Amino acid sequence: MDDDVSAPFRRSSSRNRKVASKMAAALMSTDNRTQAALARLEALENDNAGLETVEVNDDDEASLDDEDQGYIQKKQPKGTKRKTRQAKALEARKAPRTFLELLHEANLESLPPHVPSYLKAAVGPPSSTSRRHFCTVCGSAANYTCVRCGMRFCSCRCQNIHNDTRCQKFVA
Amino acid sequence: MHQNGVVVLDNGGGLIKAGYGGERDPAAIIPNCVYRPLSSKKWLTPSPTDPIDLTSAAVRRPIDRGYLINPDLQREIWAHLFSQVLRVNPAQSSLLLTEPLFTLPSIQRAADELVFEDFNFAALYVAHAPSLAHLYEASRRPVKAQCSLVVDCGFSFTHAVPVFQNFPINYAAKRIDLGGKALTNYLKELVSYRSVNVMDETFLIDDVKEKLCFVSMNVTRDLQIAKKHGKDNAFRCTYVLPDGVTHTQGYVKNPEEAKRYLAIGDSDSLQEVAKKMDVNRVEVVDKLEERKKIDLSKNEFDLTNERFLVPEMIFHPADLGMNQAGLAECIVRAVSSCHPHLHPVLYESIILTGGSTLFPRLADRLERELRPLVPDDYQVKITPQEDPILGVWRGGSVLASSPDFEAMCVTKAEYEELGSARCRKRFF
Repeated sequence: MDDDVSAPFRRSSSRNRKVASKMAAALMSTDNRTQAALARLEALENDNAGLETVEVNDDDEASLDDEDQGYIQKKQPKGTKRKTRQAKALEARKAPRTFLELLHEANLESLPPHVPSYLKAAVGPPSSTSRRHFCTVCGSAANYTCVRCGMRFCSCRCQNIHNDTRCQKFVA
Repeated sequence: MHQNGVVVLDNGGGLIKAGYGGERDPAAIIPNCVYRPLSSKKWLTPSPTDPIDLTSAAVRRPIDRGYLINPDLQREIWAHLFSQVLRVNPAQSSLLLTEPLFTLPSIQRAADELVFEDFNFAALYVAHAPSLAHLYEASRRPVKAQCSLVVDCGFSFTHAVPVFQNFPINYAAKRIDLGGKALTNYLKELVSYRSVNVMDETFLIDDVKEKLCFVSMNVTRDLQIAKKHGKDNAFRCTYVLPDGVTHTQGYVKNPEEAKRYLAIGDSDSLQEVAKKMDVNRVEVVDKLEERKKIDLSKNEFDLTNERFLVPEMIFHPADLGMNQAGLAECIVRAVSSCHPHLHPVLYESIILTGGSTLFPRLADRLERELRPLVPDDYQVKITPQEDPILGVWRGGSVLASSPDFEAMCVTKAEYEELGSARCRKRFF
């Protein structure tokens, strides 16, 4: 999110942005590695929705994904256009919600246990806990773990590449 | 102009398949998204006719994780579809719409509003994709199957659903939260880290995935092969990015090279593979030299183990860090949630549908993984649909042309009288 404020007109893919903000959150939390892993899974469901920062303030037709909304909220105190409460409510209604919000709203946990629902249809954890690890650099079977961030690599060569490129992002 | 007809709409997360009931193939297949190319400031709706330049296009989709979350966007796409592409008058036709299992009530309400209030359709029938796939397969066989297990590996997620007498058994349905979209994004991530930054090129990487990815029958061995250098590496393959001048579509540089993996048998050892590659080497040599020359322009990238590690995730989501079982186990769990009498029948009629089942060798691999998990005295028979992307739509078309279809629909008058929730009860 900080990225956006410092350079609002820079074009970049939305995925990078998302990871960056989630990554920032991950750094705050106690369990960095699980947070980062979750953020990465979340990123697999992203579209490159593009940046709307230029027209977002005057054009309500434009999409407001959650990040853009954050951007608006931050910018609003400085903005000249003051919005009435009604207009704000309208905007909130118009902004598409994510599936997870809708899911939370539907409150499926409250259903009796015999009713099949979205949550119960998930296949559940695998029976064997063995997880194969692939080198994050080259893809082959990885026997070593980075002591700082927990990512996998297969050889000294890949370790060096990993340290030079990816590793620092995860280090607090 | 089709009057009083039935519009069959398979509203997928990736592609909309739309057409008229009773026909064999849908009249239009368009991506279910709006896109904005770099050159434009407006969001455009894709249409099948005009060529579109999707390079670095931004994309917005009305469907997230398989469910319709943005009705406004969907309205825009449907409006274009009905008026420009299909040229139907909704007020005079019925709509057969597919919906994923376990759609939340709020989403169902939004979809009903869209159909009846925004488009004024005369009648609506909501069908579940698995039962349509079952219906289509059953209609093609001489002996009508009572039940089957439909494995729908689509764009947003993967479902294994037992279908009994055209009804999905919803308490036994199992879902893996992994579909074509996640796989494309995964490939995008791998390629971007290893060679060229393609994070914005969703459509391009979709194409790469469709053309080059395949399912490995023996991952550890194939990883060894993929490590080799130069011509011994049977999996290395070059994809050329579009340059926007001479070609606007990316393409596989050397299609023969891309098919070399087919020569490797399932159980060949490393030595045997090396021998086979020796035979193939001759033809490839001169092309490799050619490749070195053009390499300077830097608008291409090589794929090796990515080609099979990406589809591999369907079989082992755990490798990606997901706490979910793989496809084979998903099927076993779906079947064992049913009545024991159904087990042998379900294992015998597994139907594979959905675009992500198009990876070469997926069915073989699935059978290999499934066999050890299924009791010995049960047969395992996996039927891939001949056209997995259209299978569900064709089932819808069959259903729409059946004589009692009209009676099953909810009409606009009923919707206005009873509201969304009451009408929905009919579809369960």
